[in-house]
Amino acid sequence: MRTRDQLLDSLASDLAPVRPAPNLVLLIGSWLLGSLAYVVLSTWILGPLRPGVAAQLLDHPRFLFEMSFGLVAISVLAIALFRSAIPGRLTRRMAILAIGLVSLWLFNYVAGLLSPALAPSMLGKRPHCLVETLIYAVPPMLAAIYWLHRLYPLRPLRSALLAGLAAGLLPAWYMQLACMYEPVHILSRHILPGLLVATLAPVLMWLIVRLRR
Amino acid sequence: MTQVEQARYAEDEARWSALMVSAQQGNEADYRQLLREIGDAVKGYITLRIGAHETAEDCVQEVLIAVHQARHTYDAQRPFRPWLFAIVRHKVIDSLRREGSRNKLEALHSRTQATHTTSDAMEDSVSSGLLIQALSAPHREAITQTKIAGLSTAEAASRLQISESALKLRVHRGINRLRKLLAAESP
Repeated sequence: MRTRDQLLDSLASDLAPVRPAPNLVLLIGSWLLGSLAYVVLSTWILGPLRPGVAAQLLDHPRFLFEMSFGLVAISVLAIALFRSAIPGRLTRRMAILAIGLVSLWLFNYVAGLLSPALAPSMLGKRPHCLVETLIYAVPPMLAAIYWLHRLYPLRPLRSALLAGLAAGLLPAWYMQLACMYEPVHILSRHILPGLLVATLAPVLMWLIVRLRR
Repeated sequence: MTQVEQARYAEDEARWSALMVSAQQGNEADYRQLLREIGDAVKGYITLRIGAHETAEDCVQEVLIAVHQARHTYDAQRPFRPWLFAIVRHKVIDSLRREGSRNKLEALHSRTQATHTTSDAMEDSVSSGLLIQALSAPHREAITQTKIAGLSTAEAASRLQISESALKLRVHRGINRLRKLLAAESP
């Protein structure tokens, strides 16, 4: 075992300046807005939004609340995700809040099986919404993992799980505007692929950590 | 905390923060001073909480390496201690979790020493750790025997006269409890 003095010598000798990590608010804001813009644009390129969706948002307060709540939950998750990449910034309370909000939002769709926010309908069905959700989630997930890698997550796999969840749920959320509204379809074709991405991200992070060693 | 301790705490905080900012700009002397000071502080922290065992020094060195790798994430607008001690807590738990304490100990102690003598001596030194003391007796024994004294699961289970799976469960719960105790502390 080397002595502490030897270690200090090796760490301090030829010390290069480092660029401090970017402002966390800026980083979270740009990732969230960038990812959202990418999802909206990609969805729009591949097909129109569900006809009458704007009227549904205005006429059905529960649907509006469901969509707003989902966006808030994903935003809080993104905050927790990037905070987890800086030592001492993610508090237990914040992590519980993020996971709690997302769970509540997802539970809302399970509850929707009995009492949906909108009358279930095939109107606006996108033929490949499952694949679309998966594909749209990948670039935001890669961007989040890139930033996690640049920062210093103490628990990389947990941070990657949050990254995958936030990236996967963003297109899953938007599909409620772009695709048909029917709770079983939402859970199996929108939410499930979003959750699948959440499991993919830790695998990717694990590979990165392994390659770095 | 007395007023003198509070003043020293604030003084250390401001100095470490300034030294880290200077280190981020590439100042070697300041960085060396910072690492030396936090190395001593971290050693004291670990010894007080976990006990004066030989692996504490390894843990300190791992913390210093992590501080080096994470130094770009320190934000000068925020206090230094929460950043540092988040790393320390993580490394302490990581170090307790990791298998291989046994190998380290074997390198430190002569192979001619009886295993029981070694683990007894370790147990005595570890029992001074505040957080180890805060654990329940079954958890404390399980952690001391396996993670610090370095006995294998089978050896420790036989010594404590419990099954291996029960021992593993105690170690797992003990480490979770330690993590909570460490997290609950404000450094």
